[in-house]
Amino acid sequence: MSARIGELTFLRELAGRFKIPAPDYVVEPVTQSDVKARLRKWGAGIVKPDVLAGKRGKAGAVRKASEYHEAIQLLKKAAAEQVNGQQPRTAYLAQAVPADMELFTAITYDSRYLSPSFTISLKGGVDIESVPDSDKATIPVDVFKGLNAYQASQALSRLGLQGKLNSSLALCFVNQWDMFISTGMQTCEINPWRVNKDGRIFACDFKATFDENNFKFKDIGFTLPEYPTTEEAFDEEMRAWAASSHQGQAHVSSLGGKKILPILFGGGAGTIVIETLAQMDGDPMFLSDFGGNPPYERMKKTAEICFRHKLKEAALLLILGGKANNTQIDVTFAAIADALEEWAAKNGPISIPVVIGRGGPGLVQGFAAMKKALENLGMPYVFFGPDTPITLAAAYAARLANCGARKARGELP
Amino acid sequence: MRAKSLKDLLKARDRVAVSNITGREAAKVSIVSQRFCGNIVAGWALGKAGQALNVPGVGSIPVFGQFDELMTSLPEKKRPNKIVVYSPPDAVYGDVKEVLEHGQKKVETIFVITEHVSIEVTAKLKALTEQAGVDIVGCNTLGVINPHESARVGAIGADAPDETFRKGSVCILSNSGNMVNTIAAYLQAAGLGISCGISTGKDVLILTPSRDLLPLAMKDPRTRIIALYIEPGGAYEQEAIEYLATVRKPKPILVYVSGRFAEGRAVLLGHAGAVVEGPNTSASRKIQLFDDYFGMPVFDPEQRRRFVSLLAEKKRGVRVNTLHDLVPAAQALIDALDIKPDFQATRPIALRPWFVELGALGRKLPRELALYPTTIPEPYGSLVNQHVKSGIGRLPTRQPMRNASHASSNDGITPRIYGYSVMNLMKKGAFGEAVLLYWLGHPAKQGFEARLFEMGLIASLTNGPGTISAQGPKLSASAGNSPNTAMIATLAAIGTVHGGNGQEAARMLVDLFGQTKMTDPYSRTDVPDLDALVNAFVNKFKEKKAVAKEAGLDYGKVPCLGHPVFNKETINYDPRERVIAAYMEQHKLYNVFHDFYHRLARAMMDSGVTNKVHAVNVDAALTCILMGMAWPLLKDKKITVERAVDLPFLAFALGRVAGGAGEYLDHRESGADMDMRVPVEECRYLGRILD
Repeated sequence: MSARIGELTFLRELAGRFKIPAPDYVVEPVTQSDVKARLRKWGAGIVKPDVLAGKRGKAGAVRKASEYHEAIQLLKKAAAEQVNGQQPRTAYLAQAVPADMELFTAITYDSRYLSPSFTISLKGGVDIESVPDSDKATIPVDVFKGLNAYQASQALSRLGLQGKLNSSLALCFVNQWDMFISTGMQTCEINPWRVNKDGRIFACDFKATFDENNFKFKDIGFTLPEYPTTEEAFDEEMRAWAASSHQGQAHVSSLGGKKILPILFGGGAGTIVIETLAQMDGDPMFLSDFGGNPPYERMKKTAEICFRHKLKEAALLLILGGKANNTQIDVTFAAIADALEEWAAKNGPISIPVVIGRGGPGLVQGFAAMKKALENLGMPYVFFGPDTPITLAAAYAARLANCGARKARGELP
Repeated sequence: MRAKSLKDLLKARDRVAVSNITGREAAKVSIVSQRFCGNIVAGWALGKAGQALNVPGVGSIPVFGQFDELMTSLPEKKRPNKIVVYSPPDAVYGDVKEVLEHGQKKVETIFVITEHVSIEVTAKLKALTEQAGVDIVGCNTLGVINPHESARVGAIGADAPDETFRKGSVCILSNSGNMVNTIAAYLQAAGLGISCGISTGKDVLILTPSRDLLPLAMKDPRTRIIALYIEPGGAYEQEAIEYLATVRKPKPILVYVSGRFAEGRAVLLGHAGAVVEGPNTSASRKIQLFDDYFGMPVFDPEQRRRFVSLLAEKKRGVRVNTLHDLVPAAQALIDALDIKPDFQATRPIALRPWFVELGALGRKLPRELALYPTTIPEPYGSLVNQHVKSGIGRLPTRQPMRNASHASSNDGITPRIYGYSVMNLMKKGAFGEAVLLYWLGHPAKQGFEARLFEMGLIASLTNGPGTISAQGPKLSASAGNSPNTAMIATLAAIGTVHGGNGQEAARMLVDLFGQTKMTDPYSRTDVPDLDALVNAFVNKFKEKKAVAKEAGLDYGKVPCLGHPVFNKETINYDPRERVIAAYMEQHKLYNVFHDFYHRLARAMMDSGVTNKVHAVNVDAALTCILMGMAWPLLKDKKITVERAVDLPFLAFALGRVAGGAGEYLDHRESGADMDMRVPVEECRYLGRILD
């Protein structure tokens, strides 16, 4: 998952550094006298939760306050209340900017141009997807040369904005580009830019994602804030485990399912297997990709984490992958078998069915190790080789899991 | 694009150079590619100049330090026109720049296999290659295959490309590399082979996406059908469909769009490219785009007839809901458009279980879910018979072990053997027990096992100074060598006919008893019918001996039966074996292998194969002791047969090397220098003097 930041991090760490004009702000906890003084200076403030959830405004989490008692109350409330299921890290009070004009800008890597692109709209402050194409301008940006002021200015002109404001905004946009490219961002959106009646410009909301593969991101000059996570403990532990080594993948995303524990190999295979399970009411617990030829100890710990978090609740264990190119099946399966036996030694016997499908180097040895372990544990099993399509094996697993669930509910003898 | 046809991307006479070719994955894949099509002319890797990648049976691929050096060193005709980049992510940018700088007018296409290349670098690669007029596929592609010309780059087709990719008329364009293989394998069941398979890569920016490749596939003379595997993210398909709308008679397309299940969830799909840029790039939107283009709903295998007529009417193809529906959809397309299959369809796709054990659950399942094992196809079937069904021994598992061991560890505080502290083993004080732990991976289960093992070790110490393994250290001492050299000389003077016979004996016991259900070799009640086993063995041996004698050939001997010294009587015994036998008798111990050996020695004489009862020698006794310990571990598949079979020889070597040390010490102390030398006058020449 790409690293994300919101407006507060932008205000604290980036706006000043890249000379992007932004409103003044204070962060909860803040003293009453400070809030009072600021509101006196600003006239009014906007209370916002610092949360990585989209559409804060629509969710009613962004409130205007001009009186300090109200502002303090709103700050406490905004810091405590979840927004779209996400817990805010804190809340902050930003200077309210009365605007005559609102704009939207976004920089992203664009699949149409295979380069960065810059999008501007003079209809900012609303959901940009609702703005018609005629009111937006997207221009490709040369990744080597960057966004120049004249290009931004031309785009503004095309949208009908001329004069001094055109020039001031163009310079702001160039600074936005500099921030984007200097910190290894993948997307960066400012919505809205607000322009007050004096022609002063403020970047009033912000969101960005970083490309974690970009070396610049590894040295962005500040520590990314840690947001309260709603991530399951399983995802969190696996994410840390995945990041601890480049040997073999350990990607999971919980799906909230209750039936099938899927240990899957290969990004493409994982996706189509989960797609099939979902279509067949297989209710998979998570999406996984454990390919990339993990060594024994890596695969064993990966399986151990899966089993520790999920096996007790599972109705069926599915171990499935296509015909591997490089992954050694003997090594990975011996590791999974050992992790399963260790789990059973610690947690007691388990009798859920196991469906396995795989192909690749060391297949027979891997199957032999797994078969022996399942026999030792007394777990029912079905093994498929590479002559059975993985989606058929997945469909069978879904039907078998459902049959087990129906049996548990007494619908089958 | 530079390529004007699919062939321009990859053809038979292309010359491929591989970056970072000495890397683990690059080397492995390059070896397979070289065996498959031999198109790799060279590789390069920083600091590896002068090395070569050996491709057994084919030759070796030269490795250069830089691409520049590669270009100047290779003759003009061998200079590469295709580049495969396996460099680490941070090195990709530099390596591609180097290729563009030094490969001008030569390099046509660059395939970037590397994962985790940053998006910024990816965009830069596109800009640079476009400027240079070079095509770039990737990043994160698995490669490209052209089955008609037996050419591939990257790992498409894994270790056996020609198994999955038969020549045919379907062009596969896929975001996922593995799905290129999977779709090719599925389509064989519809009688369709592959004209070209391309893994486009699956990063956020796909540098040669379907919108660029579809026009090439549309005019490719070998391609009659196009199969697309699509993931969410990017506007590539939107543009591809805009292109398709402009083609007058487009070739039919089969499409699978994955990733719909992830919509509305904070789920990262397996591929980075599945980051959705906006509503138009979601799986649902792509599905809608294709369904609108095809002018029909998703293919339903239950309504085949309806779809055959729809396909015949619309002629544009259809989308499938699950990947295995590609096969009936392809068959419907063949019927609808009167397409001739490329070959006779392979057996239909179906559930083909290899191993099934559903136990009580199986009896309660509906018939369609209670599966039964089917015939396992070759080459797996033979391997399964050999390894899985034999019921004895674990199969070896392989992994890089340069810095890893199951046998020993040291966390900086405690050295351990298979998890047991060396210090605690020292306190116990039994060397034999510690060695058995090290060799078997498990502590000896019975108290007498270490005692018997040590008796075997003592017996192995020496059989007098005349044995060749005693001559070894004496020769070494006589030449003035140091102790370790003398010990090596001892070990160098043992082999399969001196000391190593136990290995053969162990193999024989595994073969014979592996067919029985015996689990406890120390139990008198769990004994298989030994006389039947012995008789079968003797009869087979007799037959073999007769045939060999008739042909004047040497016939093998029963391993560890007989001794050159203890062979004077009608019934012979090896006195060292007798000590072990007496100990067992005294402690009422039974060892089925030991019993078998004595019965065998007698049966050989009774049946006339031998004219006396040969001694069950000390090597046999040692083998029986060690096989007694190994057997439960073999039955439990905790150790491999290879490990068990090596144990007797190792035990003999351990005992004899200690004995050799004794001979060395004695000779070094008392022997004259060079006294092991044979005087010239005693040496005989057996050839002709030629000059």
